[in-house]
Amino acid sequence: MSSKMQSSSSIAQARRTVQQLRIEASIERIKVSKASADLMRYCGEHAKNDPLLMGIPASENPFKDKKPCTVL
Amino acid sequence: MACQGLQSGETLASLKKESDSLKKKLEEERGKLNDIELHQVAEKVEMLGALSIKTKRLLKGHGNKVLCMDWCKDKRRLVSSSQDGKVIVWDAFTLNKEHGVTLPCTWVMACAYAPSGCAVACGGLDNKCSVFPLSLDKNENLSAKKKAVAMHTNYVSGCTFTNSDMQLLTSSGDGTCALWDVESGQLLQSFHGHTADVLSLDLAPSETGNTFVSGGSDKKANVWDMRSGQNIQSFESHESDINCVKYYPSGDAFASASDDSTCRFYDLRADREVAVYQKDSVIFGASTVDFSLSGRLLFAGYNDYTINVWDVLKGTRVSVLFGHENRVSRVRVSPDGTALCSASWDNTLRIWA
Repeated sequence: MSSKMQSSSSIAQARRTVQQLRIEASIERIKVSKASADLMRYCGEHAKNDPLLMGIPASENPFKDKKPCTVL
Repeated sequence: MACQGLQSGETLASLKKESDSLKKKLEEERGKLNDIELHQVAEKVEMLGALSIKTKRLLKGHGNKVLCMDWCKDKRRLVSSSQDGKVIVWDAFTLNKEHGVTLPCTWVMACAYAPSGCAVACGGLDNKCSVFPLSLDKNENLSAKKKAVAMHTNYVSGCTFTNSDMQLLTSSGDGTCALWDVESGQLLQSFHGHTADVLSLDLAPSETGNTFVSGGSDKKANVWDMRSGQNIQSFESHESDINCVKYYPSGDAFASASDDSTCRFYDLRADREVAVYQKDSVIFGASTVDFSLSGRLLFAGYNDYTINVWDVLKGTRVSVLFGHENRVSRVRVSPDGTALCSASWDNTLRIWA
C-alpha cells in the first residue's frame, strides 16, 4: 500500500493544512453590502476630523508655515 | 498534536482531497456573500475635492537608503533606520536630530517607537530586534544600553511594540512572526503558517482585540490571534510578494501593498478582498501603505519614487505626491493625522501636510 511509504512529515503537513482550512471555512461572514456600508459609515463619521482629507488652517497645523507673507 | 502515523482510512491522498474540497467550499462561501462591490456602494458618496498636500519638511542626515520609520505618540518625534546601520530619532517640527545610534549591522529594515516614547526598537540583517532606552542625556552612549530582545534565524523585516513597552512583535525572513517579552527576552508566542519570508506586520487597533495581520513573499496576508498563535484568516489574491500590510482605523479591514504594482483592501468580516487599487500607468511595485485618520484616503509608496493617494471607497486615485528621488520605502500618517511622513532610498524623509 503506497500509504506506508509516505513520510510522516508530509502527512503531518497535510493534516495541518486540512485543520487550518476547517477553521477558516467555519468562520462567520457577512455580506459585502453590509461590510461596505459599515466602512462608508466609519469614513463619514470621522471625515471632519481628518486633517489630510479636509485640510486644516495653517495656524492649526504645526507642520504648515506660519510665517506671514509680505506682498511687495 | 500527538498523532503519529495515519488514522484509519486516512492517506495523503485523502487529506489532499479533503483540503481541495475545503478550499472549494471556502471560495463558495465567500462568493455567496459577494452581493455588490464596495465601489458601487460608494457611488453615493461625494467625490473628494483636490487635496493640497505638499512637502513641508525635508529630513536630511542619513548617509544611505532610509528603510523604515515610525512616529512617536507625541505626534512630533519620529525614528528612522537606514541601510548604513544608523537609527536616528528626529523632532519633526524643528528638524533637530535628538538621538543617533549605529548598529553593527547594515540594512536596519525595521524600527518602532515605544508607546511611552522612552525607547525605540530596531532590527534587520543581524536577525535580531534590539530595544534602546532613549536617554535625556545627549552624551550618554545609547549603544551601550542596547538590549537584544528578538532572535530570529533570518532577517527581521518588521517590528512593533504591542500596547505597552513590555512586549514586542516581530516579523522575519525566516517565515515566522513572534511575540517577545522585552524585559526577559523570552519568546511568548510564535506564529507559523507563511511558506516564505514574512515582510510586514501590523497590530489591530486596540479596540478590536488581540490580533495582527502579516504579509509575505508567499503572496499571502494572514490574520493571527496573538494569544493562541492561531492563524484565523488568510487572503491570497496578490500576484506577487506583499511588502506591507496596514489595518483600516476601525480594525474591520486592512490594506496591502505588493510587488504586483497593486494595493488591495480586505474586509475581515466579509472575509474577502473588496477593492483593488491599480492603474495601467502604475507598473512599479508598491512597497508601503497607510490610511489617513478617517480611513478615506490610502497613501501608497512605490518603486517609481511616487506616492499615490487613493480614494479607499471609490477605488480611484485622488492625487500623486512627487518629490522623492528614489524608491519610497515607508509611509506613515502621524498619530493625530496632521501629516504624512515618507522614507526613501534617496536617503531622506519628507513630511507632507
